[in-house]
Amino acid sequence: MNVPYLGLFALFFAAPIVYAIVLSLRSPLTGAFVGLRNYSAVMSNGQFWSAVQRMGYFGLVQVTVMICLAIALALFLDSPYCRGRRIFALVYFLPYAVPGVIATLMWGFLLEPDLDSALNLPHQLGLAGGAIDPLDYRLALYAMMLIVTWEFTGYNMTILLTSLTNVPRQVLEAAKIDGCSELSLAARVKLPLIRRTVVFIVILSIIGTLQLFNEPMLLNDIASIGSSYSPNQIIYYTAFSFGNEQVAAAQSVVLALITIVATVAFYTTVRRRIDPLATTRAPR
Amino acid sequence: MIGRHLKPAVGNALLLIAAVLVLAPIYWLVVASSKTPSQLFSSSTFLPLAHPDWLSNLRDLFSFENGAFGYWLANSAVYALITASLATFVSTLAGYGLAKYRFRMRRAIFGLTVGSLMVPATALVVPLFLLEHDVGLLDTYQGVILPLLVYPFGVYFMSIFAAEAVPDTLIDASRIDGAGELRIFWTVGRPILMPGMVTLFLLSFIGTWNNYFLPLVLLGDSFRFPLTVGLATWASELHLAGVSQPLYPEVLLGSLISVLPMIVLFPFLQKYIARGLTFGAIAGE
Repeated sequence: MNVPYLGLFALFFAAPIVYAIVLSLRSPLTGAFVGLRNYSAVMSNGQFWSAVQRMGYFGLVQVTVMICLAIALALFLDSPYCRGRRIFALVYFLPYAVPGVIATLMWGFLLEPDLDSALNLPHQLGLAGGAIDPLDYRLALYAMMLIVTWEFTGYNMTILLTSLTNVPRQVLEAAKIDGCSELSLAARVKLPLIRRTVVFIVILSIIGTLQLFNEPMLLNDIASIGSSYSPNQIIYYTAFSFGNEQVAAAQSVVLALITIVATVAFYTTVRRRIDPLATTRAPR
Repeated sequence: MIGRHLKPAVGNALLLIAAVLVLAPIYWLVVASSKTPSQLFSSSTFLPLAHPDWLSNLRDLFSFENGAFGYWLANSAVYALITASLATFVSTLAGYGLAKYRFRMRRAIFGLTVGSLMVPATALVVPLFLLEHDVGLLDTYQGVILPLLVYPFGVYFMSIFAAEAVPDTLIDASRIDGAGELRIFWTVGRPILMPGMVTLFLLSFIGTWNNYFLPLVLLGDSFRFPLTVGLATWASELHLAGVSQPLYPEVLLGSLISVLPMIVLFPFLQKYIARGLTFGAIAGE
């Protein structure tokens, strides 16, 4: 019963990985085995590392904001104060159905001063020398943060919300009987009980940030932010514009390793905070 | 006492503002896709036109470049439907097998599956291009679909779903009745696993419909493009000199059409999708 899966896995998952590693050890010019030479080219590629750094900064700011927002929304939707929980949960989750390409196009147009009259307002009021252009090179990173936050906050909130509905009722009842207010119930009982889910969505977000591709590609189409904005964009152009598949393969391997290291580093950092309490968790 | 009523009110107001922010770009897309290029630059950004004219934009959209958009729409549907059906079937079979049989490689396969969840899919794109180039799969429908059938999350999901949902006693009873293993899977396992299969189908369908990187790399012929790649090529022509007329209406209306089906269906599917997404987190708790 595992045969179809294993066959496909071997051909379209394992083989590409092995092939990428083999390819990354070969010369772009002659195809001869050159050891780690492509990797030293990646190591000394300033553009690649500044793109990695940019994604690091992006992740630090955007993931933090998004996760805090998702936690706040989920906790409030889960509280008795919320009116219309179902409809809000649906609306926030809706961007999940919108492809990243389309989301970037929409926001890209909305953030273009020519198309969005609101961006000309400060200029017309004499507050700024010209229209604000959120897509210029400096601000494009924050425009991208906005787009990704729009795309994925509801997705993360949905995961948290489902996790919250699995919190045992007896625990919440007991806390309430002890005189716990809704606010401290959310902060001191619910949040600690779903901390594993929070760790899970942070890990997904770290992986997603380092793989960013659709948003910078499309923003570059709309606003010319450059072709080396994210590591995946560099890999794409190295392979398909410059035809240097060997170095692109090395870049892919390095990016995968960075992703794994970042994930493991984050997990080991927070692990100690999760585990000691795990044994005292209420039984399901 | 006032504070007690005020705080929830403020919270609900903030929720409403957040909902407006989420819906604003989609609303804008609906409004803007009815405008001509000159209206886009002259009329108010968020106000609908007095006489919105989607039909003339729609005609332009489907006739531009020999009706390429119609092909993209059909292609996206084909890619997503076939990928989601087959990926669901393959993953369900594998997950059920891992959950219900004890065999030598079981732990290794399970470990491999969970391990590959860590590998970012984009790392595979360049080598996939080269491998498909060597075997002549580039620029074909199979070339896009086959890699997407490897769905480790689906296998992981199904193995845990099957372990909990399908009782061993039921399988044993069918064996005593003389049914073969594949027949047991089809008549006993499959109906029980159906809700999980719906979830996997939807996740895979949305993932394929929204995919951009993989088809961008594997396809060169624009008549095989899915919507994402096609619309992105039009968007990249917006600022090129020499293009006779900016394609704004086509890109905007095309974008709207490519998100509309899923947005309309979303309220009915939300429950199934949410269950799949939460799965990794809950299983870890």
